[in-house]
Amino acid sequence: MAVPILVFSVDKTRGSLLLKIIENSGFKAKLFDNSLELEYAVRRRRPPIIVFDTKHYQSRQFKIISAFHSRFQDAELILFADPAEIPSFIAAGIKKECCFSDPINPDEVTLKIREIYFIKNRAFLKIKTYFLLLCSLFEGTRDNPYIVFTKKIIMAIAMALAVVVGIAGGFIFYNMSDLPKVQLLESYVPFESSFLYASDGVELAEFYLERRKFVPFYKIPKHVKNAFIAVEDAHFYEHHGIDFFRTIAAFINNIRAGGAVQGGSTITQQLAKMLFLTPEKSLSRKIKEAAISMQIEGRYKKDEILGFYLNQAYFGARAYGIEAASQTYFGKRTEELNVTDAAMLAALPKAPTDYSPFKNPQKAFARRNLALKSMLDRGFIDAEVYAASAKEPVPEYISRKKYAAPYFVEYIRNVMEQKFGDRLYTAGLRIYTTLDLTLQKKAERAVANGAAALARAGMPGVEAALIAIDLNTGAIRAMVGGTNFQKSQFNRATQAMRQTGSVFKPIVYLTAFKNGYSADSTVDDTEVTYSSKDGGQQWTPHNYSRRFYGRVTLRTALSHSLNAATVALANAIGMDKVIATARSIGVTSNIYPHLPAAIGVSEMTLIELTYAYTTFANGRRFDPMVYEKITDRYNIKVEDNAPKGVQAIDPANVAKMRDVLNAVVTEGTSIAAQSLNRPVYGKTGTTDEYKDAWFIGFDDRLAVGVWVGRDNNRPIGDDMSGSHAALPIWINFMKED
Amino acid sequence: MSDKNEDAKAAANQKGGNNPERPKEIENFGGPIGLDIGTTNIVSARARGANIQITKQLNAFFTVPASKITGMTLLKNDVLYFSQNGSFYIIGNAADTFANTFNTDTRRPVESGLLSAKEDEALNVIQSIIKTLVPPPKNQGELVCYSIPGDPIDTKISVLHHDTILKRTLQDMGYTAIAINEGFAVIMSELADESYTGIGISMGGGMCNVCFSYLSVPVFSYSIQKGGDYVDTMVGAAVGESATRIKLIKEKELNLLKEPKNKVETSLSIYYEDLLESLILSIQRVITTSESVPRLSKPISVVLSGGTAMPAGVREKFEKLLKANRLPLQFSSVRMAEDPLNTTAKGALQLAIAEEK
Repeated sequence: MAVPILVFSVDKTRGSLLLKIIENSGFKAKLFDNSLELEYAVRRRRPPIIVFDTKHYQSRQFKIISAFHSRFQDAELILFADPAEIPSFIAAGIKKECCFSDPINPDEVTLKIREIYFIKNRAFLKIKTYFLLLCSLFEGTRDNPYIVFTKKIIMAIAMALAVVVGIAGGFIFYNMSDLPKVQLLESYVPFESSFLYASDGVELAEFYLERRKFVPFYKIPKHVKNAFIAVEDAHFYEHHGIDFFRTIAAFINNIRAGGAVQGGSTITQQLAKMLFLTPEKSLSRKIKEAAISMQIEGRYKKDEILGFYLNQAYFGARAYGIEAASQTYFGKRTEELNVTDAAMLAALPKAPTDYSPFKNPQKAFARRNLALKSMLDRGFIDAEVYAASAKEPVPEYISRKKYAAPYFVEYIRNVMEQKFGDRLYTAGLRIYTTLDLTLQKKAERAVANGAAALARAGMPGVEAALIAIDLNTGAIRAMVGGTNFQKSQFNRATQAMRQTGSVFKPIVYLTAFKNGYSADSTVDDTEVTYSSKDGGQQWTPHNYSRRFYGRVTLRTALSHSLNAATVALANAIGMDKVIATARSIGVTSNIYPHLPAAIGVSEMTLIELTYAYTTFANGRRFDPMVYEKITDRYNIKVEDNAPKGVQAIDPANVAKMRDVLNAVVTEGTSIAAQSLNRPVYGKTGTTDEYKDAWFIGFDDRLAVGVWVGRDNNRPIGDDMSGSHAALPIWINFMKED
Repeated sequence: MSDKNEDAKAAANQKGGNNPERPKEIENFGGPIGLDIGTTNIVSARARGANIQITKQLNAFFTVPASKITGMTLLKNDVLYFSQNGSFYIIGNAADTFANTFNTDTRRPVESGLLSAKEDEALNVIQSIIKTLVPPPKNQGELVCYSIPGDPIDTKISVLHHDTILKRTLQDMGYTAIAINEGFAVIMSELADESYTGIGISMGGGMCNVCFSYLSVPVFSYSIQKGGDYVDTMVGAAVGESATRIKLIKEKELNLLKEPKNKVETSLSIYYEDLLESLILSIQRVITTSESVPRLSKPISVVLSGGTAMPAGVREKFEKLLKANRLPLQFSSVRMAEDPLNTTAKGALQLAIAEEK
């Protein structure tokens, strides 16, 4: 402060006295005894204070004082005057406390000047004081006990500070030691959903831990980025990972509010927390977060960081990342989001549940409009856009689409889980399945109709399952595991172990063919009682019709599903061979190693048997094939699942099998299938008391198995044989559209 | 503070006073000078490193008829003199020796603190004495600060003439001359530790000078034309003794703390009391009428200096009288200057140094 206090007095002694009093208080002052010089000085450099002694001043009108007071209002006037004149000065606007009369009181003057001066120059004086104190310390005033004391205090504070800084530094260093490597972001692979597609490319399902689909930062529209910047981190493009002012402001506001009401974290800090740290609230975590943030900032461009953040953030409704959120809330891709949508999404990460438009539409509306207002305030949108956007309603709940083939999806999920483990839910795989959606719909319709027909016939609660397998590839083209997936996720096509009844018989005949029999070979269909090896058990198989047909060809025996003949045949060739044949065509379930197994007392699954029939159709055995190829998140092929059929039956025996199985349709138990007007092959199956009804057959394209029964293993209903309960469903499915 | 000239003078006196000493040639080391031009003595002070060199001459003269042989004798004995109107004017300390030899009084160029109107050659005498103490300046414009009395309050006499003559004398010698009030010089010399705030009183032969200073600003200064000479004269007249003898008794034997033993001491006590009362009453009068005396929150010191303040008991008497009179100022102490005879010169030197800075 270079401008001195100006002192005016025509009395040399009084002037000098006032000057000294002021100077002695540490202020610069200049004395004038000439009013013209004083005016000139005031005009040249406005003084903070003018001390005007009216004693012996020639003009008692004091125009100069009024002039100073009106023209230089930022200068304080201190007057010395006769007590009688003071009221007139006060009336002229001079402060009462700045008017003094004789005798001059140095203490009063000093106090007043200090008061004015300190108020006017508070900051400057503080700095000056500290500077002078420092100077004194450096100059070393050993004799001054106050300075010595101050020195000691400062030394003590400095030492304490050093200790604190040391401990803090150590603490920070300690925390830094296990800092995750930010370089990991180079290979940033967020958890991403895996998707299941039908053979025609239609999405069937999404498997996820965090439902997310990665979208590169350059594909995120600018207004979407702006919305998040406006809401989450207004100075995103200016700071270097940490917004100190915002952190401090948040700290103060939180202390004032007595709790966490404002977050001070930047987008980068939030990203650091999401990617590398646990959500715990601790100083250690905060330090790490800051350190990682700065590293991230040093390594990546702002837009990249924003991209990472937008792909990582949780938006509620199990949607992780901007793409999943866009799909969830708006059914759009990120690139298609408009300003209103962007504001809504930007409003979510702070409290996804609270501000969910699905759960709290009103709160979401308010929060979204707040986001829009932030965008307006930051100049990201204009008033017109704001006004229009603010009127838009928030999105309503869109019921989640049901899987088109829930049983199949669940089946394939199990298969894939065994294959990929948890990666299935995080790796962003694209699984192209073998499912033919058209056939699947047809299958679902057929099953539904079949069950409905049974219900109409007084047999409610009957379950049914269907599976269709491509003969050339072994690929599953349709799968229905029950009548209502919502009600029961138990897949009767793949999980239900049921007695097979007569659908097992073709395996006996195939064994016979493999052992030199032909379709025209004969076998006795007579009443025979078989004893167990120890002779303890006796069993006499009967036919469904309760009649015996004597010597019959194998074709007849199978087409009419003759139990006695089949058991006789099995007995002739040996059950061990039958079982071996079963194994060779893919049957893996336990097979009762005795004759009753020949007519289907063993429990098997529909899928297992239908694959066996697939082998009957063309001699090649296939393992269940549910997908054609799998790619990763970048559409790079992970696996190409080419059909891997194994020749299990030689063509001659295939022909024999086709012969006998066709006879079932043409002359046997499945004549109804002739309605299809094309060559079809198959076999019915019925278990005791009509507990299970089967029909498994094929045409030139598909092997299709149908099972009908009750989950509690009770009878379906009277006369509900395979041909009555299962075949209609099969026919229904196999019908040309 | 040791002083070569003081020692020399003392040595001269021990020899029986018939060997008037002449100050050795003053070597000019340069630097500011403080000069106390009092009624009795003229004292110069100069800084010599950390010490102050004091040189003094009696501010007196003695005339003898001019003759060749007298002139040769004076020259031979290094007696300072000058010839004027058929007389030899013996000046300075030697004058006292001659006066004692002739059993008469010296003559003074300064009377009651101011250039004597009675002595025609007062100016020549004082200029000559000053030149024995203040050598020509090494550089033109060197600073000399000389003491002047305050305006006497009980007469209409001004110090302007006195001040101007002295200033011109010094300026003609090549100096830049600045005046200092004698009382203020006391303050400059003695009250540095009290921020030059207090009352300084120089009690000289011709007058007493009083100054009240606040933070080195002389708020008021004045003189009363009563001093040691007044006491000597009045006592001498009262008891029928010469003033010179009364002065000797006063300087050597007087103790105002003790009961007077004789009529001289009794009379000295009476006139000292009169002098001190006059002084205090004057202070009271000036303070109460001054428009500039500030209101002080802390008591201030009073410092007494000068030869007239030196007799034992003067300080105590002054303090007692001061307490007995109600003054609008509070006093913390009344004390004697450290070196009462040289205080004014030292104070003048302080101011000269300060001005030079």
